[in-house]
Amino acid sequence: MGVTRTVLLALAVSTLAALGPSRVAYADDSEAQMRAHAAQDEAERAARWQQLQQAVFGKRALADGAGVIQIEAPEHALDAALVPITLTMKSATPIKGLYVVIDNNPSPVAGHFTFGPRADPRTLKLRVRVNQYTFIHAVAETVDGKLFVSRQFVKTSGGCSAPVGADNADALKDIGLMKLHLLGPFSPGKSLQAQLMIRHPNFNGMQMDQITRLFTPPRFIRTIDATYDGAPIFHLDSDISLSTDPVITFGFVPDKKGSMQLVVRDSDNAAFNHSFAVPAG
Amino acid sequence: MLASYLPWLGIAASAVQEPAGYWMGAIHGPVAATLSGGTVIHTKKLAALLKMGDVMVIDVSDAPRRPDNLASGAVWLPLPHPVIPGALWIPGAGIGAINPSVDKLFRECLAQRTENDLAHRLVIYCHRNCWLSWNAAKRAISYGYRNVFWFPDGMEGWRAAGLPTATAEPLLP
Repeated sequence: MGVTRTVLLALAVSTLAALGPSRVAYADDSEAQMRAHAAQDEAERAARWQQLQQAVFGKRALADGAGVIQIEAPEHALDAALVPITLTMKSATPIKGLYVVIDNNPSPVAGHFTFGPRADPRTLKLRVRVNQYTFIHAVAETVDGKLFVSRQFVKTSGGCSAPVGADNADALKDIGLMKLHLLGPFSPGKSLQAQLMIRHPNFNGMQMDQITRLFTPPRFIRTIDATYDGAPIFHLDSDISLSTDPVITFGFVPDKKGSMQLVVRDSDNAAFNHSFAVPAG
Repeated sequence: MLASYLPWLGIAASAVQEPAGYWMGAIHGPVAATLSGGTVIHTKKLAALLKMGDVMVIDVSDAPRRPDNLASGAVWLPLPHPVIPGALWIPGAGIGAINPSVDKLFRECLAQRTENDLAHRLVIYCHRNCWLSWNAAKRAISYGYRNVFWFPDGMEGWRAAGLPTATAEPLLP
Protein backbone atom coordinates (compact mmCIF):
# COMPACT_ATOMS: atom_id res chain seq x y z
CA MET A 1 0.00 0.00 0.00
CA GLY A 2 2.76 2.41 0.99
CA VAL A 3 4.50 1.83 -2.30
CA THR A 4 1.37 2.23 -4.34
CA ARG A 5 0.57 5.45 -2.61
CA THR A 6 4.05 6.82 -3.10
CA VAL A 7 3.82 6.02 -6.79
CA LEU A 8 0.46 7.67 -7.16
CA LEU A 9 1.63 10.69 -5.23
CA ALA A 10 4.74 11.02 -7.36
CA LEU A 11 2.63 10.71 -10.49
CA ALA A 12 0.20 13.26 -9.18
CA VAL A 13 3.03 15.67 -8.52
CA SER A 14 4.62 15.12 -11.92
CA THR A 15 1.34 15.58 -13.78
CA LEU A 16 0.58 18.59 -11.62
CA ALA A 17 3.63 20.30 -13.04
CA ALA A 18 2.54 19.44 -16.57
CA LEU A 19 -1.12 20.32 -16.32
CA GLY A 20 -1.03 23.47 -14.27
CA PRO A 21 -3.34 24.21 -11.35
CA SER A 22 -4.76 21.09 -9.83
CA ARG A 23 -4.94 19.48 -6.42
CA VAL A 24 -2.89 16.69 -5.00
CA ALA A 25 -5.16 14.52 -2.92
CA TYR A 26 -3.66 12.89 0.15
CA ALA A 27 -5.55 10.05 1.71
CA ASP A 28 -4.91 11.11 5.28
CA ASP A 29 -3.59 14.62 5.27
CA SER A 30 -5.56 17.82 5.28
CA GLU A 31 -3.78 20.86 3.87
CA ALA A 32 -3.71 22.58 7.26
CA GLN A 33 -2.04 19.51 8.78
CA MET A 34 0.47 19.45 5.97
CA ARG A 35 1.37 23.09 6.53
CA ALA A 36 1.67 22.59 10.29
CA HIS A 37 3.86 19.57 9.67
CA ALA A 38 6.12 21.48 7.26
CA ALA A 39 6.51 24.36 9.73
CA GLN A 40 7.32 21.94 12.57
CA ASP A 41 9.92 20.24 10.37
CA GLU A 42 11.51 23.56 9.43
CA ALA A 43 11.76 24.62 13.07
CA GLU A 44 13.26 21.27 14.07
CA ARG A 45 15.81 21.37 11.27
CA ALA A 46 16.87 24.90 12.17
CA ALA A 47 17.25 23.92 15.83
CA ARG A 48 19.28 20.86 14.87
CA TRP A 49 21.67 22.90 12.74
CA GLN A 50 22.09 25.39 15.55
CA GLN A 51 22.98 22.53 17.91
CA LEU A 52 25.52 21.14 15.43
CA GLN A 53 27.00 24.51 14.61
CA GLN A 54 27.61 25.00 18.31
CA ALA A 55 29.14 21.51 18.69
CA VAL A 56 31.47 21.78 15.68
CA PHE A 57 32.28 25.49 15.36
CA GLY A 58 31.50 26.86 18.81
CA LYS A 59 30.89 30.59 18.75
CA ARG A 60 32.54 31.20 15.36
CA ALA A 61 30.38 33.05 12.83
CA LEU A 62 29.29 31.31 9.64
CA ALA A 63 28.71 33.48 6.59
CA ASP A 64 26.36 32.66 3.72
CA GLY A 65 28.40 30.54 1.31
CA ALA A 66 26.75 31.77 -1.89
CA GLY A 67 29.49 32.33 -4.45
CA VAL A 68 32.13 30.65 -2.26
CA ILE A 69 30.94 27.11 -1.73
CA GLN A 70 28.28 25.10 -3.46
CA ILE A 71 27.07 21.62 -2.54
CA GLU A 72 25.24 19.35 -4.94
CA ALA A 73 23.60 16.05 -4.02
CA PRO A 74 20.69 14.16 -5.55
CA GLU A 75 17.47 15.19 -3.82
CA HIS A 76 16.27 11.58 -3.97
CA ALA A 77 19.32 9.36 -3.71
CA LEU A 78 18.73 5.79 -4.86
CA ASP A 79 21.10 4.24 -2.36
CA ALA A 80 21.24 5.83 1.10
CA ALA A 81 24.56 4.10 1.78
CA LEU A 82 26.19 5.69 -1.29
CA VAL A 83 25.01 9.26 -1.66
CA PRO A 84 27.30 11.15 -4.05
CA ILE A 85 28.02 14.76 -3.18
CA THR A 86 29.92 17.34 -5.20
CA LEU A 87 31.46 20.44 -3.64
CA THR A 88 32.50 23.42 -5.70
CA MET A 89 34.57 26.14 -4.09
CA LYS A 90 35.61 29.54 -5.39
CA SER A 91 37.29 32.20 -3.31
CA ALA A 92 39.77 35.06 -3.72
CA THR A 93 41.17 34.20 -0.29
CA PRO A 94 42.54 30.64 -0.51
CA ILE A 95 40.50 27.87 1.08
CA LYS A 96 42.28 25.86 3.74
CA GLY A 97 39.59 23.49 4.93
CA LEU A 98 36.21 21.96 4.30
CA TYR A 99 33.65 20.35 6.62
CA VAL A 100 30.84 18.09 5.42
CA VAL A 101 28.09 17.81 8.03
CA ILE A 102 25.15 15.44 7.61
CA ASP A 103 22.76 16.98 10.09
CA ASN A 104 20.58 14.01 11.00
CA ASN A 105 23.24 11.32 11.11
CA PRO A 106 24.18 10.25 14.65
CA SER A 107 27.80 11.08 13.83
CA PRO A 108 27.14 14.19 11.76
CA VAL A 109 30.66 15.28 10.74
CA ALA A 110 31.26 13.06 7.70
CA GLY A 111 34.58 14.64 6.88
CA HIS A 112 36.94 17.49 7.63
CA PHE A 113 39.44 18.16 4.85
CA THR A 114 42.54 20.27 5.40
CA PHE A 115 44.14 21.33 2.14
CA GLY A 116 47.90 21.55 1.63
CA PRO A 117 50.07 23.51 -0.83
CA ARG A 118 49.63 20.92 -3.63
CA ALA A 119 45.81 21.00 -3.47
CA ASP A 120 43.40 22.57 -5.90
CA PRO A 121 40.25 22.65 -3.76
CA ARG A 122 37.91 23.99 -6.45
CA THR A 123 36.09 20.66 -6.95
CA LEU A 124 35.75 17.76 -4.55
CA LYS A 125 33.49 14.73 -4.72
CA LEU A 126 32.79 12.01 -2.18
CA ARG A 127 30.18 9.44 -1.23
CA VAL A 128 28.48 9.36 2.14
CA ARG A 129 25.89 7.48 4.17
CA VAL A 130 22.60 9.18 4.97
CA ASN A 131 20.50 7.79 7.81
CA GLN A 132 17.31 9.78 7.27
CA TYR A 133 15.92 12.82 5.46
CA THR A 134 18.43 15.55 6.19
CA PHE A 135 20.20 18.70 5.27
CA ILE A 136 23.84 18.27 4.35
CA HIS A 137 25.87 21.35 5.22
CA ALA A 138 29.20 22.15 3.58
CA VAL A 139 31.42 24.65 5.36
CA ALA A 140 34.52 26.10 3.71
CA GLU A 141 37.22 27.76 5.78
CA THR A 142 39.49 30.35 4.17
CA VAL A 143 43.10 30.93 5.32
CA ASP A 144 42.02 34.06 7.21
CA GLY A 145 39.82 31.85 9.40
CA LYS A 146 36.43 32.81 7.93
CA LEU A 147 33.72 30.17 7.53
CA PHE A 148 31.22 29.97 4.67
CA VAL A 149 28.24 27.62 4.65
CA SER A 150 25.94 26.12 2.02
CA ARG A 151 23.40 23.34 2.31
CA GLN A 152 21.38 20.82 0.35
CA PHE A 153 18.40 18.71 1.42
CA VAL A 154 18.52 14.97 0.72
CA LYS A 155 15.50 12.67 0.90
CA THR A 156 16.75 9.18 1.52
CA SER A 157 17.04 6.96 4.57
CA GLY A 158 18.52 3.75 5.93
CA GLY A 159 22.15 4.24 4.94
CA CYS A 160 23.53 3.53 8.40
CA SER A 161 22.05 0.06 8.88
CA ALA A 162 22.32 -1.01 5.24
CA PRO A 163 24.45 -4.18 4.98
CA VAL A 164 27.79 -3.70 3.30
CA GLY A 165 27.51 -6.83 1.20
CA ALA A 166 26.37 -10.39 1.35
CA ASP A 167 29.34 -11.44 3.39
CA ASN A 168 31.58 -9.59 5.83
CA ALA A 169 34.64 -11.75 5.07
CA ASP A 170 34.26 -10.79 1.43
CA ALA A 171 33.96 -7.10 2.32
CA LEU A 172 37.26 -7.29 4.24
CA LYS A 173 39.14 -9.37 1.68
CA ASP A 174 40.98 -6.65 -0.23
CA ILE A 175 40.89 -4.06 2.53
CA GLY A 176 43.23 -1.18 1.87
CA LEU A 177 43.52 -1.77 -1.87
CA MET A 178 43.59 1.55 -3.73
CA LYS A 179 43.21 2.76 -7.28
CA LEU A 180 43.92 6.19 -8.63
CA HIS A 181 42.60 7.53 -11.91
CA LEU A 182 43.89 10.79 -13.34
CA LEU A 183 40.95 12.48 -15.02
CA GLY A 184 42.89 14.63 -17.46
CA PRO A 185 46.23 15.04 -19.20
CA PHE A 186 49.33 15.76 -17.10
CA SER A 187 51.01 19.10 -17.62
CA PRO A 188 53.59 20.43 -15.12
CA GLY A 189 52.16 23.11 -12.87
CA LYS A 190 48.62 22.60 -14.16
CA SER A 191 45.73 21.50 -11.99
CA LEU A 192 44.62 17.91 -12.43
CA GLN A 193 41.61 16.00 -11.06
CA ALA A 194 42.25 12.58 -9.54
CA GLN A 195 39.76 9.92 -8.49
CA LEU A 196 40.86 7.83 -5.54
CA MET A 197 39.07 4.55 -4.83
CA ILE A 198 39.77 2.75 -1.56
CA ARG A 199 38.59 -0.75 -0.77
CA HIS A 200 37.35 -0.57 2.82
CA PRO A 201 34.00 -1.70 4.28
CA ASN A 202 33.91 1.29 6.65
CA PHE A 203 31.73 -0.75 9.02
CA ASN A 204 29.90 1.64 11.34
CA GLY A 205 28.81 -0.88 13.97
CA MET A 206 25.12 -0.57 13.04
CA GLN A 207 25.02 -3.23 10.35
CA MET A 208 23.58 -6.55 11.43
CA ASP A 209 24.93 -9.80 10.11
CA GLN A 210 21.79 -11.78 9.24
CA ILE A 211 23.57 -15.08 9.66
CA THR A 212 25.37 -14.60 12.99
CA ARG A 213 22.61 -12.26 14.33
CA LEU A 214 25.34 -9.99 15.63
CA PHE A 215 26.21 -6.43 14.84
CA THR A 216 29.33 -6.30 12.70
CA PRO A 217 32.06 -4.63 14.80
CA PRO A 218 32.79 -1.09 13.70
CA ARG A 219 35.89 -0.65 11.58
CA PHE A 220 36.15 2.63 9.74
CA ILE A 221 38.62 5.00 8.14
CA ARG A 222 39.90 7.67 10.50
CA THR A 223 42.30 9.59 8.30
CA ILE A 224 43.49 9.84 4.71
CA ASP A 225 46.67 11.72 3.79
CA ALA A 226 47.48 12.54 0.18
CA THR A 227 50.86 14.07 -0.63
CA TYR A 228 52.75 14.80 -3.83
CA ASP A 229 56.50 14.18 -3.63
CA GLY A 230 56.12 14.75 0.10
CA ALA A 231 54.12 18.00 -0.11
CA PRO A 232 50.58 17.77 1.32
CA ILE A 233 47.54 17.73 -0.97
CA PHE A 234 44.96 17.05 1.70
CA HIS A 235 44.43 15.49 5.09
CA LEU A 236 40.99 14.07 5.83
CA ASP A 237 39.56 13.32 9.27
CA SER A 238 36.55 11.07 8.97
CA ASP A 239 34.55 8.31 10.57
CA ILE A 240 31.41 6.29 10.07
CA SER A 241 29.47 8.56 7.70
CA LEU A 242 31.84 7.87 4.82
CA SER A 243 30.44 5.18 2.51
CA THR A 244 31.75 1.67 2.09
CA ASP A 245 34.60 1.57 -0.48
CA PRO A 246 35.07 5.35 -0.43
CA VAL A 247 35.62 7.21 -3.67
CA ILE A 248 37.09 10.71 -3.42
CA THR A 249 37.70 12.95 -6.40
CA PHE A 250 39.97 15.93 -5.76
CA GLY A 251 42.18 18.44 -7.53
CA PHE A 252 45.93 18.72 -7.15
CA VAL A 253 48.73 20.60 -8.85
CA PRO A 254 51.73 18.42 -9.83
CA ASP A 255 54.66 20.80 -10.35
CA LYS A 256 56.63 18.12 -12.22
CA LYS A 257 56.53 14.40 -12.94
CA GLY A 258 56.51 12.62 -9.61
CA SER A 259 54.42 10.40 -7.40
CA MET A 260 51.39 10.73 -5.19
CA GLN A 261 51.51 8.98 -1.84
CA LEU A 262 48.41 7.92 0.01
CA VAL A 263 48.20 6.82 3.63
CA VAL A 264 44.88 5.55 4.96
CA ARG A 265 44.54 4.79 8.66
CA ASP A 266 41.55 3.03 10.17
CA SER A 267 40.04 2.47 13.60
CA ASP A 268 41.85 -0.89 13.98
CA ASN A 269 45.11 1.09 13.73
CA ALA A 270 45.84 -0.45 10.35
CA ALA A 271 47.73 1.79 7.92
CA PHE A 272 47.53 1.30 4.17
CA ASN A 273 50.15 2.96 1.97
CA HIS A 274 50.15 3.34 -1.77
CA SER A 275 52.17 5.33 -4.22
CA PHE A 276 51.08 6.24 -7.74
CA ALA A 277 53.24 7.64 -10.52
CA VAL A 278 52.04 10.90 -12.10
CA PRO A 279 51.53 10.69 -15.00
CA ALA A 280 50.50 7.06 -14.72
CA GLY A 281 52.76 4.30 -16.07
CA MET B 1 1.04 4.12 -18.33
CA LEU B 2 1.60 3.56 -14.64
CA ALA B 3 3.98 0.68 -15.28
CA SER B 4 6.14 2.84 -17.52
CA TYR B 5 6.73 5.26 -14.63
CA LEU B 6 7.78 2.58 -12.19
CA PRO B 7 11.40 2.01 -13.27
CA TRP B 8 11.85 5.76 -13.40
CA LEU B 9 10.77 5.91 -9.77
CA GLY B 10 13.12 3.08 -8.87
CA ILE B 11 10.27 0.77 -7.91
CA ALA B 12 9.79 -2.75 -9.15
CA ALA B 13 6.52 -3.13 -11.01
CA SER B 14 5.52 -6.40 -9.39
CA ALA B 15 4.04 -6.23 -5.89
CA VAL B 16 6.16 -7.87 -3.21
CA GLN B 17 4.69 -11.17 -2.06
CA GLU B 18 4.56 -12.08 1.61
CA PRO B 19 7.47 -14.40 2.38
CA ALA B 20 6.55 -17.70 4.04
CA GLY B 21 8.81 -17.01 7.02
CA TYR B 22 10.43 -13.80 8.17
CA TRP B 23 11.79 -11.36 5.63
CA MET B 24 15.55 -11.96 5.49
CA GLY B 25 16.46 -9.56 2.71
CA ALA B 26 17.37 -5.88 2.78
CA ILE B 27 15.45 -4.11 5.51
CA HIS B 28 14.60 -1.04 3.46
CA GLY B 29 12.65 -1.42 0.24
CA PRO B 30 9.14 -2.11 -1.04
CA VAL B 31 7.22 -4.15 1.53
CA ALA B 32 4.35 -6.64 1.24
CA ALA B 33 0.82 -5.23 1.13
CA THR B 34 -0.53 -7.86 3.52
CA LEU B 35 0.31 -9.75 6.71
CA SER B 36 -1.24 -13.19 7.24
CA GLY B 37 -2.89 -13.43 10.63
CA GLY B 38 -2.76 -9.67 11.19
CA THR B 39 -4.41 -6.50 9.98
CA VAL B 40 -2.80 -3.77 7.92
CA ILE B 41 -3.81 -0.37 9.26
CA HIS B 42 -3.21 3.09 7.83
CA THR B 43 -2.78 6.46 9.47
CA LYS B 44 -6.33 7.73 9.74
CA LYS B 45 -7.75 4.46 11.04
CA LEU B 46 -4.84 4.08 13.44
CA ALA B 47 -5.46 7.52 14.92
CA ALA B 48 -9.10 6.53 15.47
CA LEU B 49 -8.11 3.17 16.98
CA LEU B 50 -5.73 4.82 19.45
CA LYS B 51 -8.49 7.16 20.61
CA MET B 52 -10.51 4.11 21.63
CA GLY B 53 -7.74 3.13 24.05
CA ASP B 54 -6.50 -0.29 25.23
CA VAL B 55 -3.95 -0.53 22.47
CA MET B 56 -0.28 -1.33 22.95
CA VAL B 57 1.96 0.42 20.40
CA ILE B 58 5.46 -0.83 19.63
CA ASP B 59 8.10 0.90 17.53
CA VAL B 60 10.77 -1.51 16.26
CA SER B 61 12.99 1.02 14.43
CA ASP B 62 16.74 0.61 14.61
CA ALA B 63 18.58 2.61 17.27
CA PRO B 64 21.88 4.32 16.52
CA ARG B 65 24.81 2.62 18.24
CA ARG B 66 27.89 4.62 19.12
CA PRO B 67 30.99 2.75 17.93
CA ASP B 68 33.31 2.12 20.91
CA ASN B 69 36.28 3.18 18.82
CA LEU B 70 34.90 6.53 17.67
CA ALA B 71 37.53 9.23 18.19
CA SER B 72 37.17 10.80 21.63
CA GLY B 73 36.63 14.25 20.13
CA ALA B 74 34.10 13.07 17.53
CA VAL B 75 30.66 14.66 17.58
CA TRP B 76 28.11 11.97 18.52
CA LEU B 77 24.64 13.50 18.57
CA PRO B 78 21.84 11.10 17.61
CA LEU B 79 18.55 12.88 17.02
CA PRO B 80 15.91 12.43 19.74
CA HIS B 81 13.79 9.47 18.64
CA PRO B 82 10.16 10.40 17.91
CA VAL B 83 7.48 7.79 18.58
CA ILE B 84 3.70 7.64 18.54
CA PRO B 85 2.81 8.89 22.06
CA GLY B 86 2.81 6.00 24.52
CA ALA B 87 4.72 3.64 22.24
CA LEU B 88 7.47 1.35 23.52
CA TRP B 89 10.62 1.36 21.41
CA ILE B 90 12.16 -2.11 21.09
CA PRO B 91 14.98 -2.03 18.51
CA GLY B 92 15.91 -5.39 17.05
CA ALA B 93 12.48 -7.03 17.50
CA GLY B 94 12.00 -6.99 13.73
CA ILE B 95 15.28 -8.56 12.64
CA GLY B 96 14.62 -11.65 10.49
CA ALA B 97 16.92 -13.83 12.60
CA ILE B 98 16.25 -12.30 15.99
CA ASN B 99 18.81 -12.24 18.76
CA PRO B 100 17.46 -14.57 21.51
CA SER B 101 17.84 -11.92 24.22
CA VAL B 102 15.79 -9.44 22.18
CA ASP B 103 13.21 -12.14 21.49
CA LYS B 104 12.88 -12.70 25.25
CA LEU B 105 12.61 -8.98 25.94
CA PHE B 106 9.97 -8.49 23.23
CA ARG B 107 7.91 -11.45 24.44
CA GLU B 108 8.10 -10.32 28.08
CA CYS B 109 7.23 -6.70 27.30
CA LEU B 110 4.15 -7.80 25.40
CA ALA B 111 3.08 -10.22 28.13
CA GLN B 112 3.56 -7.62 30.84
CA ARG B 113 1.82 -4.73 29.12
CA THR B 114 -1.10 -6.82 27.90
CA GLU B 115 -1.32 -8.69 31.24
CA ASN B 116 -1.02 -11.93 29.28
CA ASP B 117 -4.11 -11.12 27.27
CA LEU B 118 -3.54 -12.59 23.81
CA ALA B 119 -6.62 -10.76 22.53
CA HIS B 120 -5.13 -7.37 23.44
CA ARG B 121 -4.70 -5.05 20.46
CA LEU B 122 -1.09 -4.50 19.36
CA VAL B 123 0.11 -1.95 16.81
CA ILE B 124 3.59 -2.47 15.41
CA TYR B 125 5.43 0.00 13.20
CA CYS B 126 8.81 1.42 12.22
CA HIS B 127 9.38 3.37 9.02
CA ARG B 128 7.73 3.52 5.64
CA ASN B 129 9.18 0.89 3.28
CA CYS B 130 10.85 -0.96 6.13
CA TRP B 131 10.46 -4.67 6.82
CA LEU B 132 11.33 -4.54 10.53
CA SER B 133 7.73 -3.87 11.59
CA TRP B 134 6.37 -6.53 9.25
CA ASN B 135 8.70 -9.10 10.83
CA ALA B 136 7.94 -7.95 14.38
CA ALA B 137 4.18 -8.07 13.75
CA LYS B 138 4.55 -11.57 12.32
CA ARG B 139 6.55 -12.51 15.40
CA ALA B 140 3.85 -11.18 17.75
CA ILE B 141 1.30 -13.28 15.85
CA SER B 142 3.58 -16.31 16.32
CA TYR B 143 3.54 -15.64 20.09
CA GLY B 144 -0.22 -16.12 19.90
CA TYR B 145 -1.55 -12.54 19.77
CA ARG B 146 -4.77 -12.44 17.80
CA ASN B 147 -5.27 -8.69 17.28
CA VAL B 148 -2.06 -7.54 15.70
CA PHE B 149 -2.11 -4.43 13.55
CA TRP B 150 0.79 -3.64 11.25
CA PHE B 151 1.18 0.06 10.43
CA PRO B 152 3.34 0.22 7.27
CA ASP B 153 3.05 4.02 6.87
CA GLY B 154 5.40 4.22 9.84
CA MET B 155 6.64 7.37 11.53
CA GLU B 156 6.82 9.12 8.14
CA GLY B 157 3.09 8.56 7.53
CA TRP B 158 2.21 9.52 11.09
CA ARG B 159 4.12 12.79 10.91
CA ALA B 160 2.95 13.62 7.41
CA ALA B 161 -0.58 13.59 8.79
CA GLY B 162 0.45 16.20 11.36
CA LEU B 163 -0.16 13.85 14.30
CA PRO B 164 1.67 14.40 17.62
CA THR B 165 4.82 12.53 18.63
CA ALA B 166 6.68 11.90 21.86
CA THR B 167 10.33 11.11 22.48
CA ALA B 168 11.41 7.65 23.64
CA GLU B 169 14.53 5.84 24.77
CA PRO B 170 15.17 2.35 23.39
CA LEU B 171 14.43 -0.76 25.45
CA LEU B 172 17.49 -2.95 25.16
CA PRO B 173 18.17 -6.42 26.58
